[in-house]
Formats: sequence, structure tokens, C-alpha cells
Amino acid sequence: MSAGAKSRVVVVAEHSQGRLSPVNWELMACAGQMARVLGLEVAAAVLGQGVEPLAGEIAQRTGVKVWAVEVEGMAAFHGEAQRLALAQLLPAWRAQAVVGAHSTSGLDWAPGLAARLEAAYLPGVEGLSAGPEGPRFSRTAHYGKVREELAPTAWPLVLTVQPGTFPAAPPGEAGHGEVEVVRLPAPPCRSQLLEVVDGAGTDAGLGRAKVVVAAGRGVGQAENLELLRRLAGLFSSAALAGSRPVCDLGWLGYGHQVGLTGATVSPSLYIACGISGARQHTVGMQGSGFIVAISNDPQAAIFNLADVCIVEDLTVLIPALLEQASGYSDPASLQGDLPGRPG
Amino acid sequence: MRILVCIKQVWEPESLFDLQGTELRPRPPLRRKVGSYDELALEEALRLKDRLPRTNLTVLSVGPPPVVDVLRRALGMGADRAVHILAPDQPPPRPATLAAWIAAWAQGQNFDLILTGVMSEDAMQGAVGPMLAAHLGWPPVTSVVSLKVDGHALAVEREMEGGRRQRLALPLPALLTVQSGPNQPRYPTLSNLLRAKKTTPLTVDAAGLAAPPDREKVVALTPPEKRRAGLVLEGSAAQKAERLLAMLRERALL
Repeated sequence: MSAGAKSRVVVVAEHSQGRLSPVNWELMACAGQMARVLGLEVAAAVLGQGVEPLAGEIAQRTGVKVWAVEVEGMAAFHGEAQRLALAQLLPAWRAQAVVGAHSTSGLDWAPGLAARLEAAYLPGVEGLSAGPEGPRFSRTAHYGKVREELAPTAWPLVLTVQPGTFPAAPPGEAGHGEVEVVRLPAPPCRSQLLEVVDGAGTDAGLGRAKVVVAAGRGVGQAENLELLRRLAGLFSSAALAGSRPVCDLGWLGYGHQVGLTGATVSPSLYIACGISGARQHTVGMQGSGFIVAISNDPQAAIFNLADVCIVEDLTVLIPALLEQASGYSDPASLQGDLPGRPG
Repeated sequence: MRILVCIKQVWEPESLFDLQGTELRPRPPLRRKVGSYDELALEEALRLKDRLPRTNLTVLSVGPPPVVDVLRRALGMGADRAVHILAPDQPPPRPATLAAWIAAWAQGQNFDLILTGVMSEDAMQGAVGPMLAAHLGWPPVTSVVSLKVDGHALAVEREMEGGRRQRLALPLPALLTVQSGPNQPRYPTLSNLLRAKKTTPLTVDAAGLAAPPDREKVVALTPPEKRRAGLVLEGSAAQKAERLLAMLRERALL
């Protein structure tokens, strides 16, 4: 490999509405590991307008050099502007590696940048190690069921980091970071960002619930959601959630969606029912206290992050749970549901 | 308007498989299908074709001969023409290679719009679309949940974290990657399927298309690390239920 001593790994920070995203500290953690393995120097860049205070925040917390790139006309994240600006600036920054988040933003600018720079592209990186012939990056592949190790064979590298996989360094004052302001005229974009509209918001009580019962496509049909509702009913503070496909199918409203483009939850107990475990979903629930996964696919990826794995048909298992739980905790409540009760 | 939709053939998500070296070997029965995001991209293209009469819709897929099955299905759903870039599936081509092949063929075909899924359903890299756009010098917009065509202008919405949306305007030609939404893909019609049966897709051998050397190499495939205890409950459904309830009570979760 050809990385010289002064070459850099540059983290491209995510921010919106004047705030840095928490994922940036995970990107910095990944860059820190890369710096050690590859002998690079860590730096960061924040692109947009009025980004100098954000660059200052990164410099203060991590002690690295940060470029505050004031891009004319880029009032909010705009993938095309970001990609063009980075393509212009990176060579002068001696960037051997560029690190972004595996987010809807990172996925908008990073692959095209890699193509433009003729760089190796490593998407959704979850770990790295030093191999005999250079660094190896790991990610999950094939429906999240396989761990794939990639070795770059060209430089520079463009990688996106899977959120929730590199532990962020605790906040502190590393001090002595340096902020350099760069002013860039508006890049020659063909697309024009008109506005950013807030999401409909999630108010399915997901954030407050101590227990979340979540449905995936493996639930099979909308009617089976009733079983999940009754399962949720066993707990005093429970909410029903769904993966994106379940919400797309209209089985649950989008307010119930957990995952990359939905809510992030961390209840005490998460019961995943018929959920495959694709990363887009698991980033939204992997911080849950105790995870139970029920699926009839024995190789489902969800089992790799569950505390308890149950390979079973939901329509058999949940009725068994309901029957035993009712019989155990409060036989009267089951009686109460029986038709023909006198009175 | 000339539209190209790029689709990938994937195995059914529940298909079992074995790992052999850096190769993933499916266990029979082999069940293949169109990746779900790509199928939604095709549905968006068909909706445009429904609205804009003089639209010609080409569907393209890269892979070994069985790929013809997903192309036929796309024709059955209403695509006008199918293109098969014939390439081996082992080792799986890298995203940059796929983008270069498709660009090499699509250049000079005068497409106005290229659609594909926001990512493949199985590999989930989301790279081929934006890389293809880079080859063509077109602006990509990823994760699109709404699109409108007005003459040579496109109005799109793309979805971001937490359901936030960006509205963008851009001129044709353009490349969009489609995120899932309430629209569900249509079923093929019998008449289209009969037509598809008689249609032979245009086959282009990837060996004749220019692509850069690989810039990454898959050096290992292993089962994913277990990030938690992953205790597997055994026995009958009733026994599993009993065990789970006991565990939840031990932890004061129930």
C-alpha cells in the first residue's frame, strides 16, 4: 500500500439544522482505528453554510484538524453539491481515505464520489483489521446473514460506516484541534434542493414503551398482527412496531416504523416477530435491553443480535405464549373473555 | 420518453445456504426473484408509462442465463424490451464493475431516465445506481419516494432519516434510485406473459464491455458474529413458550 506518513483519513461529518449528528463520533472512532492500522492522520470536514461552529465542536472534542467548508448555496445537505465539493477538495487534503456514514445522506454522495475518484468503495463497514497484505474491512452481506471481509486493492478508499457498530469515544476535551475555513463557490449542480420537509413524526408510543413487539414481513398477513397485539397486551407498557416493509404494505402506519428511516427505540424488551434482521431495521432497535427473536427462518440475521432465539411459526408460538401467560398470571382475565359469561 | 430500469435477480430471502470459501452456495430448492426495491423501481417506471403514452421502457439485468426469468417477469409486468448483460455470478461482480458494464451499454442509447432500487435486497450496498450516474455524468438522486415528470423537468422527493424528506428539481436525463413506499408492484398480466415467452432478450456479453480492474476483493465470508447470547430455545412450541415466559419473569420483564 502507498499511504505515506502524512496522508489522511478524512471524516465527512453529518449535520442538520445546525447540529452535528451523533453518528459523527462513531465515524471518528472508525477513522481512529484506520489511522492506527494504516499510519494515517485523522482529519474531518464539515460542509454547508455557517458550519464553522460545528467544525469547532469536532476539533475541540477530538483534537484533530477540521475543515469548515462554506459552500455557496448549500444551506442544507445536498448530495450532489457535497459530492462535487469533496471531489474538488480531497486531492489537496492528501486524503487516502474518506469516511462517511452509511445513512441516507452518505449513500447519496459516497458511491458516486468513489466512482469519480476511481477509489475502492467499502459500504456499510462494521469493523476493520490488519491483514497480511493490508487492511480488511468487514460488513454484513446477503440479507445480513453473512459477514464479508473486503480488502481494498486500490487507493484512495471511500467507505461508509454502519451506524451503531463503532463505539463512540466518550465526550471530552481533547483540545488543540485546528479549524481551517475554506470558501467554495457554488458547485455546478444539475439538481436543485428546494426544501426539506419534516417527517410525519412517530407517535405510536414507541419511545415511551418499556416493551416493543415488532412485526416483520414474516408475519405473513395483516390478520396475524392481531396475535402480536394480544402479545403486547400481556405487558403493562407495550407498543406495536413494524419494519419498513410492513408499513409499506399498510399493515401498520408509518408512525410504527422502527429502523433507519423510522424511529430508534431502546425498550427494556424487544420482541421481533418475523423480522429478517436487515441492517436498515436493526440500527433502530439494537440498543434494546433484552431482545427476543421469533422467526421460522433458522438463518435469519435477527438471531445474531438476539438474547433469545425461537425458530417457530408465529401463529403457533404466540397462541402458546398467550395461553400459558393467561393461565399463569391471571386466570380470571381469560375467563372474562369467554363468551356466554353470566351477567 | 425512454426509460431504463436496472433490476437484480436475488434468491428468496429465506433460502438456506452454505458457505464454501468465499462462495455462498444456496441449498435446493433454488428460488429466485427480482430484488424488492428494483421491482418497485420498475413499478414507478410502469406508472410513468401509464401516464405518458409515448414512453418506451427497457429493463436490464446482469448475470448468468437464469437472469432471463426476471427479465421475462418484467416484460410480463409491462416493460417493452429486455436486455441481458451476460456475466458469471461467481465471483459476484463488484458494484463498480456492474456500473461500468451498464454504462458501456447504455451510453448512446438516448435514455432520458434510469431507475433502479435504492439498494439490492440481498447485498444492500446501494452503489451501482450512483456509480452508473457518475459514469454517465448525470446527477443521481437516491432514496426517491415520489417523482413527477413535466416535459424535461423532474420533481422528486427523497426520504432521509426519521422520515424527513427533501424536495429536489432536476432536468432529464437523470438517474433515480427508488426507496420503498405504499406503491406495491403490479402482477404480470397473462397477455404480457405470453408475449414475454416469445420474446428473446437482447443478450450482450459482458466480456465485450469495458470495466476497470476490481478495486476491492472479497477475502472471506464467515457467519456473522453473535452480538448477544443468542440462546436457542428447543422443544415443542408449548415448551418454548413456557421457557420464554419463565425467562421474562426471571428478568422482571413480565
